[in-house]
Formats: sequence, structure tokens, C-alpha cells
Amino acid sequence: MSKVVEISPTTRHEGHSKLVLKVDDAGIIERGDWLSITPVRGVEKLAIGKTMDQVPKIASRVCGICPVAHTIAATEAMEASIGCIIPDDAYLLRVIMQCANRAHSIALHNILSLPDMYLPGTDTKINPFSPEEPVRSVAKRIQRIREISQTIGEIAGGEAVHPSNTRVGGMFVNVSPRAKAKMYDLAKEGLALARDQMEFMIAIFRNYQKRDWAEVGGMKVDIPETLGYHNQGYMATDPIYGSSSLDENPTWDISRFNEVRPWDWYMGEMEVTDDYPDYPVGGTTAKGTKTWPQMEANTGVPLYDGQPVEVGPRARMVTFKNFDEKGTIGQQVARQMEYTDSFYKLIECLDALNTNGKVFVDELPTGDGSLGWAANEAPRGSDVHLARVNNGKVEFFSMLVPTTWNFPTCSRALTGAPWQLAEVIMRGYDPCVSCATHMIVVDEDQRIVAQKLIQ
Amino acid sequence: MVSDNFLGNYASVVAARSTDKSILKGAQDGGIVTQLFAYALEEGIIDGAIVAGPGDEPWKPVPVVATTVEELLAARGTKYNISPNMQLIKEATRSYGLDKVGIVGTPCQIQALRKGQLYPVGLRDVPDKIALAVGIFCMENFPYQSIVQLVEDHANTKLENVTKMDIGKGKFWVYTGRGASVQLPLKITHKYEQAGCHVCLDYVSNLADVSTGSVGTPDGWSTVFVRTKNGGDIWAKAIAAGCFETKPMDSVKPGLDLVTKLATEKITKNQKTLAERATFGVGKGLRNPYI
Ligand SMILES: Cc1cc2nc3c(=O)[nH]c(=O)nc-3n(C[C@H](O)[C@H](O)[C@H](O)COP(=O)(O)OP(=O)(O)OC[C@H]3O[C@@H](n4cnc5c(N)ncnc54)[C@H](O)[C@@H]3O)c2cc1C
Ligand code: SF4
Repeated sequence: MSKVVEISPTTRHEGHSKLVLKVDDAGIIERGDWLSITPVRGVEKLAIGKTMDQVPKIASRVCGICPVAHTIAATEAMEASIGCIIPDDAYLLRVIMQCANRAHSIALHNILSLPDMYLPGTDTKINPFSPEEPVRSVAKRIQRIREISQTIGEIAGGEAVHPSNTRVGGMFVNVSPRAKAKMYDLAKEGLALARDQMEFMIAIFRNYQKRDWAEVGGMKVDIPETLGYHNQGYMATDPIYGSSSLDENPTWDISRFNEVRPWDWYMGEMEVTDDYPDYPVGGTTAKGTKTWPQMEANTGVPLYDGQPVEVGPRARMVTFKNFDEKGTIGQQVARQMEYTDSFYKLIECLDALNTNGKVFVDELPTGDGSLGWAANEAPRGSDVHLARVNNGKVEFFSMLVPTTWNFPTCSRALTGAPWQLAEVIMRGYDPCVSCATHMIVVDEDQRIVAQKLIQ
Repeated sequence: MVSDNFLGNYASVVAARSTDKSILKGAQDGGIVTQLFAYALEEGIIDGAIVAGPGDEPWKPVPVVATTVEELLAARGTKYNISPNMQLIKEATRSYGLDKVGIVGTPCQIQALRKGQLYPVGLRDVPDKIALAVGIFCMENFPYQSIVQLVEDHANTKLENVTKMDIGKGKFWVYTGRGASVQLPLKITHKYEQAGCHVCLDYVSNLADVSTGSVGTPDGWSTVFVRTKNGGDIWAKAIAAGCFETKPMDSVKPGLDLVTKLATEKITKNQKTLAERATFGVGKGLRNPYI
């Protein structure tokens, strides 16, 4: 007989979410729902009527870990709608911000993932805050990588959290030669550290892959070889940066996208039938609690070719680099592989950057209401923003953010794992639930809400 | 360390001027600000300084991040209207890429700087990048329109012909390129003052590392207060490098007594204005930022 276990809230990721798990007698997940219970802030609705300049600044505030993604995607959606091609040096500054933010984000996620992992050759889990070696040096390296990345982001983007330099039409300012030299020195240092950190993390994940069991709250659970496997597809628009409807050959296809309500995707009303007070920290939801994923999920469910897809580092590696490793560890490994790519690309852009080059268009169109979209490859995957700008004002705005794409996919990937490892699977996606919950699709009659608005 | 109610805390006060003739030429007084920044820049103590540079309109300053001595020289001289130097404090650490920032400012600007360092609201990564804060004395400031009016209407001179303006010896002086000079009694200038200056309780930039002004010393010389440990270190090095000529303050006329007198006048007058704000309305008052 199936039992229902609920982990709420989930931890070591951004935002507020929960896991509702139907498990068999052995505690193996038969069907799991991972859903956002973060309050909806409704950015897309409040964007309507505002200027094309302010909406990207508001969209940035959807998330403070990947604000660069939302800033760039929203700005470029506006530019796509009004038909504005930005100068080369503005583009280079944006790619620099992008790469810096990605490196910082991976490093931050290292801290969140490590406590699930073991020191190789031991049965000791890693506490990233431990003052003892080798963990101490790793934590310091992570902090230095983040410091370097945030500083570069701050120089190119004006601010590391909520970049101020981007504007519709380019950037407010170019950087000084001194600033370029500073970014270059930092990137060189960052590259060396990132390479070491990547190798360290991959070794840690490979070690976990070789283990038969993991300990969770005093329970010894078997690690299945297929931890986190799913049969959904992948979606990615670029190895590093993104694509937009202004591109000659856009790499995202709006006609393959639609969006449904959580109602169509999640499980119905249930009661929690089993609880584990020892599950760290504070136990699982008490027996007898009512739970209703369909109603409680605070995100829409975006589909590509009618299916949920996985986005993120692995999706990029699969799409562009023939990466073929499935499951949670494959996903984590793919993420680490993006460390050095970020710094290589950053250095390449710095080499190409002309600090005397202009960074703002000569003439800024104000738009006629045409639909434009821009996809930014955020640290967590494709962040697609759609906009219609008319006479400088936003008439329609929609954000299809990475974690929204991943929610239903990850839910499917839970099947077959012991429920105690559900959070480990979830963390493989590096969830950002605030990102995912910026909106809700509410339309009782129309299933495909966003597409209806777009026509 | 002297702790004075009107002149602030300071380690020493001297009369000084730059030993560099080319700096002195366009400087307002002893060229202290420009010389100190030029020295700090060349020694790598700062990698740029926020100064009031020339703008598009004559005598209307625009804050700039100077990273060369030429840019520092171009910003010499007092512009008696508002130059929002703090505007660039964050940007200096961003697209300019500075790690060690110098800044010159009136007492209120140095207050803003220190507040930003202690309570950095929206000033991430700025507090630890301030390497040298030079404050200038300030009795009051003017909006640009006031200066237009004072120079063009009261002094009957085109602003672009003006080579120097100065407030001293109870008058507002306007010097022109053709050698003429006009003096306006300060009672004419009062109504043109920036209203916000009337609640200002700092005359000699009490919160700067080093503060300087003209009052107290002869023409071509400056009064210099060395206040913080950082300011003291840089000042001592600059003296050792031969940047400045100095004289003990008590050997010059009119000396510290006049500085104290003017500081006391400013502060007591403005304290009165502040007190009046409390009972400005009937049964209600205006805000007091100091409480
Ligand atoms: C509004 C105002 C009122 C003043 N009132 C007095 C006073 O009552 N008594 C007194 O003794 N001294 C006063 N001063 C200071 C004096 O005029 C000189 O600025 C000071 O002595 C420095 O001279 P210096 O030769 O060392 O500087 P310089 O080498 O000539 O350099 C002056 C520096 O001040 C900067 N600067 C110029 N105008 C402004 C401005 N508006 N805001 C911020 N920075 C500016 C310039 O960019 C330059 O870096 C006042 C200055 C200002 C700006
Ligand atoms: S009088 Fe005070 S408030 Fe006015 S400019 Fe001078 S320092 Fe600032």
C-alpha cells in the first residue's frame, strides 16, 4: 500500500518549496510532486503599463542569486520587441556579467550541495562550515571564487546583485582601461581556482556515485544507481549566453512552447500518512495533515513539445557538447564543468572589449506592440522572457524561468528513489523557487494561457 | 589630539602651500587639495580622486573621477555652486575600477561619505575603498542660478570671462581675465544661498582625513587640519617628499582665532535656525535630521 510522506519546507536551495511523495512499503517513491509554495509576487501582471526601462529592473528583483539572467533576458526581450540591436561592446559587457554571475552561482551551489556528500574514503558527511581541513580550504576557495565573480559582475554590470549598468539599448557606461585590467587579473585568478574547485567537486560527486548507501537522519538508505533519472527531454538555447527573436537563427522556438496549470500536472488532494520526526532538521510533515499539490503549487507548468523538459547545465551540455550522463550525479558533474567555461569565455570577451567603444545605440526605437522574446541561459537554465512594447510602454510581459521548467521534470525524476534522497535529487536542479514563482497562470477555461495572450 | 567644539578633532594644524608652482598657479589658495591628490596618485596611495571638474557651462562644476595629474589640475579652484561629488562614489569602484578612492568635498559631502562608510545603504563594496578624504572649509554654497545672477547681474560680468571667484574679507570677489575685479558685499549674496546650508553645523570639514581652507592664513596659503591617522600618515609622507612648505599656525596672520570665530558664528547661527524649525508651525514643527 502506498504511503504519503511530505517534506516541507525543503532546504538548501533558494525560496520556499515542498515535496509530496507517494512511497511504497520500502519507502521508494512511486510518484512525487515537488512544488513551489513561495508566495506569488506577480511581476508579469504588474509590469503591464510600466515603461520598458523599469520592467527589467523590477524583473531583476525576482531573484538575487541570478538577477543578471532576469535583467538581461527582460532587457533583451524589450529590445527584441522594439527591434533594437545593441553595440558590440555593450554585448561583450553583458556576456562578461553573465559569465561572472554563472561562476558565482555554481560556487554558491557547491555550498548547498556539499552537506549531502561524503569525504571520499570515509563515512563522514561534509560540513562546509567546518574549521577543519580539507574542508576549510575548499570553503575559502569557494568564497574567493564568489568574491572574484561578484567583483567582476560589479565592474561590468554596475552591481553584482541587481546590475545597474544594463539598459534597453545597451549599457549606461563602458568600463575604464583600469577596470578592464582589474577584471582580467581577477578572471585569471578565478580560472585557476575554478579548475581546482571543479576537479574537487567532481571527485566528491563521483565518490557518492560509488557509494551503496547514505545516512539521512539516522536512517541508512540505499543509493539507487539510477538516482534522479527521468525520460523527459532537454532544452537549451546556447552553451553560455542565449538567443533572442532578433537572431538570424533563433535557438528557441516559441511554437513548440505552451503552458498549463498546476491542476493538469500535479496530484490531487491527499492526506499525509506517515511521518519521520528524525528527518533533519525538524522532521517531516505530521501524519493526518492535508496536502493538495494541484491547488498549492504556485507556478505554471511550461511545456516544450507538450512535455516538461529539463533545463540547466546538463541540458546545455547535452545539447551542445554531447554529454550523455543521466541522473543527479550527471547533472552535478555537468554543472561543475561550466566553471572553467565561464572564465574562459569571460577572458575571451575581455580580450575583445574596446573600452572606448560605444555602448548605447544612436537611436532607440519605442516599439509598436510586436512580440519579442529573449532567452538567457541563466545558471539554472533557459530563462525566456517575452514582451510586447508599444510606444515605450510594456503591454505584455511573461517570464519562463529555469526552475519553472524544472519543477515538473524533477518531480518525475523522483520516482524510484528512497524518499529520504528526494531532496538530494531536487538539489541536483539547483532550484531557485523565487525565480519559479514570480507568477501564476490563472485561467479557468483556457489551458494554454500564455500562448493565448501571445497570438 | 585636540578636540574642539567648533573645529573638530585634529592632530595638528598648520599654514601650508604647495611647492609646485604649476599647481599653485590655478589653485584657489595654497593648492593643498590638488597637491595632496597628485602626490597620493603618484605614490599609489589612491588610484583616482573624485573632484569638481569643469562642465559644459562656465563655472558649473561636474564631478569627475580624475586618474591623472592633468585631470586634477583641470579641477583646481573653487566653484561656488553645488558639485555633487558623492554621486560618483559608487561608480568609482564600478566601471572606473578603482580600489583606492580619493575624494574632495565640502563638510556635508564628507559627512555623507562617512555615513556611507558606516551605514552603507546601497553602497556595497564602497566603505573599504576610501583611501583619502580631503575636506574643504565651507560657510555656505549656492545653486548655479544664484551664481549666474550674482556674477552677471550684480557684478555685471559675463561668467565665461571670470577667472576666479572668492569669498573672503567679508566680500564676494569676482576676478576677470581682463584684470578687473568686482567685490560684492556679502549681504547681497545672502538671499542667494542654498537654503539647506542654513542647518549645517560643520565649517572646517570635521570628518575629513585632512581639511583645508583659506581662512586663517595669508593669500596664497592655506590652513590645514590633519585629523585622522590615515590623514596624518599621508600628510607626513607628502611633507617628507617636499610637496609642501609649512609654517606654524601661530606664526601667521590672522591665524586660528579667526577660523574659530567664523566657525563659531556659522554653527551658532545655524543651531538657531535648527531650533526655530521645531516650532515652525502652529502646534507643529519641521524635521530635524540631527535627532
Ligand atoms: C562652496 C564653497 C565654500 C567655501 N567656503 C569657504 C570658507 O568659508 N572659508 C574658507 O576658508 N574656505 C572656503 N572654501 C574652500 C576654499 O575656497 C578652497 O576650496 C580651499 O581652500 C582649497 O583650496 P586649494 O588651493 O587647496 O585647492 P585647489 O587645489 O584649488 O583645489 C580645490 C578642490 O576643490 C574642488 N572643488 C571646487 N569647487 C567645489 C565644490 N563646489 N564642491 C566640491 N568640491 C569643489 C575642486 O575640484 C578641487 O579639487 C569653500 C569652498 C567651496 C567649494
Ligand atoms: S554650508 Fe554645509 S551644507 Fe552648505 S555646502 Fe557647505 S558644508 Fe554643505
